[in-house]
Amino acid sequence: MLYVVLFFTFFSLFLYVLLGGADFGAGIVELFSSRNDRKLNRDTIYKVMGPVWEANHIWLIILIVILWIAFPVYFNIIIIYLHIPLTLVLLGITMRGVAFIFRHYDAIVGESQIWYNRMFRISSLITPIFLGMSFGALISGEIVITEDYSDVGFAEIFMAPWLNIFTFLTGLFYAALCAFLASTLLIGETTGDIRKIYSRKSAFYTIIVVVTGGLLLFYGFMNEMVFVQDFLANAYSLSAVSLSALLLIPLWKAIKEQHSLLTRFYAGLQILLVLFAAVHTHFPNLIITSTGEVNMMDETAPDSVIKVLGISLIIGGGIILPGLFHLMKSFNMIRIPSQSPKEESE
Amino acid sequence: MENLDYARLQMAFTLGFHIIFACIGMVMPFFMVVAHRKWLNTKKPVYLKLTKAWQKGVAIFFVTGAVSGTALSFELGMLWPEFMKHAGPVIGMPFSLEGAAFFVEAIALGFYLYGWNKLPETFHWITGIIVGISGVASGILVVSANAWMNSPAGFDVVNGEFINIDPVAAFLNDAWFTQALHMTLAAFAATGFAVAGIHAFQILRNNKPELHKEAFKIAIFFGAVAALLQPLSGDLSAKDVAERQPVKLAAMEAHYETQKSAPLYIGGIVDEENKEVNHKIEIPGALSFLAFGDFDAEVKGLNDFPEDVIPPVSVVHYAFQTMVGIGSLMMIAALIFFISLKKKSWLQNRKYWWLFAVLSPLGFVAVEAGWVVTEVGRQPWIVYNIMKTSEAVTPMPGLKYSFFLYVTVYIILAITVTWLMKRQIKVLNNSIG
Repeated sequence: MLYVVLFFTFFSLFLYVLLGGADFGAGIVELFSSRNDRKLNRDTIYKVMGPVWEANHIWLIILIVILWIAFPVYFNIIIIYLHIPLTLVLLGITMRGVAFIFRHYDAIVGESQIWYNRMFRISSLITPIFLGMSFGALISGEIVITEDYSDVGFAEIFMAPWLNIFTFLTGLFYAALCAFLASTLLIGETTGDIRKIYSRKSAFYTIIVVVTGGLLLFYGFMNEMVFVQDFLANAYSLSAVSLSALLLIPLWKAIKEQHSLLTRFYAGLQILLVLFAAVHTHFPNLIITSTGEVNMMDETAPDSVIKVLGISLIIGGGIILPGLFHLMKSFNMIRIPSQSPKEESE
Repeated sequence: MENLDYARLQMAFTLGFHIIFACIGMVMPFFMVVAHRKWLNTKKPVYLKLTKAWQKGVAIFFVTGAVSGTALSFELGMLWPEFMKHAGPVIGMPFSLEGAAFFVEAIALGFYLYGWNKLPETFHWITGIIVGISGVASGILVVSANAWMNSPAGFDVVNGEFINIDPVAAFLNDAWFTQALHMTLAAFAATGFAVAGIHAFQILRNNKPELHKEAFKIAIFFGAVAALLQPLSGDLSAKDVAERQPVKLAAMEAHYETQKSAPLYIGGIVDEENKEVNHKIEIPGALSFLAFGDFDAEVKGLNDFPEDVIPPVSVVHYAFQTMVGIGSLMMIAALIFFISLKKKSWLQNRKYWWLFAVLSPLGFVAVEAGWVVTEVGRQPWIVYNIMKTSEAVTPMPGLKYSFFLYVTVYIILAITVTWLMKRQIKVLNNSIG
């Protein structure tokens, strides 16, 4: 059963990175668009993301709940030592969520829209950066685990681990991934000239992802960071990343051809590969502290808990996934391949 | 103030905020689907307009409830890491099921909001019902997790570790049913009266009275039924608390001396130093009866509990009095509503509408007061008789700042949402037809 729970943990993580990421990315793309494109973007993402918008973010809650139930000790470290960046993430999520809904549901469309838009775009950028920084902090080897907090100092325990160049680069990398995902997804949701715009944007963000990812590895390598060194020495991680790099070629071609299904498929696959590479390197030691590593699988919840959780997840998954699939299909988020050629020609 | 105080304040504030939005988000879909059904049956445009207006309300409250709920799921760990470390696995089951229910709600809401003219009529309407049902289900599940804090079950404590965990027994703890019932009814009563009151106010101002009268009828019906059922559930809760948490009951009643045939105090000013209640109205034997169903039963007073397990008496007592007082008012108003169904002439009386307009916010005051009774009444325990709140708090210093940050953000949010609702009503009133 532990494996069922682990599967759902990483499945939720993957879907949050993918769907939540595309969602954040839509705001980032909008932020860095010209005035004209912004309005266009706004309407497009409302059409595309609107129906699944809230569902995209529930993966985060599922992930958190699984962590706290099944891996309480591991969760405890994350939640204590990353208190500040996680507060900022929450603030971002709150701002972004309400801004999204306000700008579409305010009964009067007027000047206040300027504020909603600003709030939405800026928090769309900031939130994934802080999320990335939090993840970066877990693997940066800077976290100081201590019993006595007064002894070490506030800055060293609660600030330094997440506020440094490495974590910032991780944050940028994740934000870039989000923008890349969003622009790629939106290719398939638009037609004509607009489609060309997203195809261009998606090519642009692909480059940004590669550059920030490269920078991240380069910086880590130069500073002899444990995670990066292990990453580069791990055959599986390295092949996964190489494969995702190779996939850039067909992806690039699909982007140029403005192919709606293939772009989505390659982009999703690449995220899966990158995530696999990042997690595989150190699994199950998914936190690297200043003095050692924390094994996620140590001190898991007792079997009775894991069993009930596993069953709940299977049942929940059985209800939710078909529903979600149907929702996405109903609003054309997912195209059944056999139908796509016809739609392509339209 | 210490870190612990700020942590508690922040939790109280964010929970207090979330509860209001979650209640509205949970109950309003029912108003919406009733109006929607009436539209499908009668094709009167007024119902369609009402459905669409309420739908916007549902969307706004759902999202505000959802983001504040997301924040809470983090805050539980961020503010109370020791609690989550031990209790997380035990009460994980209702939370994981709640996650599922919430997910279903989000999916159904996606269908509902975006399904107009795209989905078959009945299917579309049913997705609205699913929104409501899954919302209520998540409310019940979350309350059951809270009930476990009042009535811990499904584990043993050995050397400070929680072992032999039985998540199902923890989920179905002794308090879950009474608490969930009380909260669900409270949500319906508070939201029903709040929404009805807003429409009553519009009727008073003579803005689109036909539309607002229809809206009033739907909302108050839910509210009134819940308000009439609530005293029964309150009685169940009181008997339950008397048995499981006698010190909480004693604090609710500010009952200091242990005595047989204990009187019920109505009103009164608590003097915590001299351990007495002044200026109260006494109903002889009533407390014994309410707590144990027997006028002669003995009720244990606060003086017979150790000093260090007694919650802040006056806060709990006043909150309890507030809740019961408002509940009684709402019950009377509910009766007035049901009588007015026969005596149509009452509807011409402005006082009738004023009554409901004034009651509008009070249901939520009662909800908040009820939560103060539950939570403050449990102090100093975070898990009753097992773990103290002071042992659960995060070691991270400077919680003062995060408290003020949350207060600022949430107050701005609350103001904005109120302002948005005003704009919705304004547009509704100015619309043609």
